[in-house]
Amino acid sequence: MKFTLIKKLSQDKSMRPILTGLLLFTLLYILSDVLVKYVNFGVFPDAINVTLFGDEEQYIDPLSTSAFLEFWHVEIFFIMMILLTLSAVFVRVSKDDTSKIILLSALMICALFSLISLVLAFFVAKIFVLIYSILFFIWHAIAVYMILYSLGKLYYDKSI
Amino acid sequence: MTKAYKYAIVYFLLFSLLLVISGIMLFEHKIGFSAQGVSEYYLGSEEKFIVAKSSAGILKIVLPHIFAFALFSMVLLHFLIFTKHRDTAHSKALIYLLFSSAALEIFSPFMIIFGAEFFVFIKIASFILFESLVVYIAWLLFNSIIKD
Repeated sequence: MKFTLIKKLSQDKSMRPILTGLLLFTLLYILSDVLVKYVNFGVFPDAINVTLFGDEEQYIDPLSTSAFLEFWHVEIFFIMMILLTLSAVFVRVSKDDTSKIILLSALMICALFSLISLVLAFFVAKIFVLIYSILFFIWHAIAVYMILYSLGKLYYDKSI
Repeated sequence: MTKAYKYAIVYFLLFSLLLVISGIMLFEHKIGFSAQGVSEYYLGSEEKFIVAKSSAGILKIVLPHIFAFALFSMVLLHFLIFTKHRDTAHSKALIYLLFSSAALEIFSPFMIIFGAEFFVFIKIASFILFESLVVYIAWLLFNSIIKD
């Protein structure tokens, strides 16, 4: 996290391409995450319901508790690491304190509650699948915005 | 440290708590917190139709955990540097304890299947110690962010 200590990021010949690489790979991860989930798990409520609870008509078995908990555990780890890294870059390159805290909070709270909704959907009530799906799209959209915003700042804002 | 970084750390701590909760749920569901549960999970049980774990099978589970435990512990502990706990005996003890408990938690299954069955207790104790330390460090960091 040395980039948080460099005074002029825009003039640093090494740190700017490094951060660009990091941001592009994070963008790739966020977009791939949506695609992979769309294929394997589902991103819309109907598909998620089938994955979690099965479908007798299509002969699809429900997800076992063990498999679900493993999936949830891994998801938490990856999301927390990706979002911590992204937020560190975003905070460093943006200026306006209030708006960046609002955006950062929206991202983190949506991601956090999407994970909580997922476990509630599996163990408590199916209605949480809808909440998970909505929050999943919101936090991914915010993350994409933050990545593009950070890239723009890196290249077009000489004051950072 | 700017206000926005403090927010980011607080959210990271909330994710850490969720990770601890999911870890406990997973441990309880797959293995169980009793010595018998841990023993049966690794050594198998004919009565319960549980197949004994092989060293290759354990290694497959352990491999991603070695990296994940190290990365997570490093990230969590390095935030202590920005607090009043920096370079204190207390924080040094936390660093050694966290990494030691993580190592014992990860590698004790090998000792169980290689015959040292008392390691079932070490597996349970190290897991509880690691999770408790994570919560404690998270609480220390949260307290520092709120008060300092």
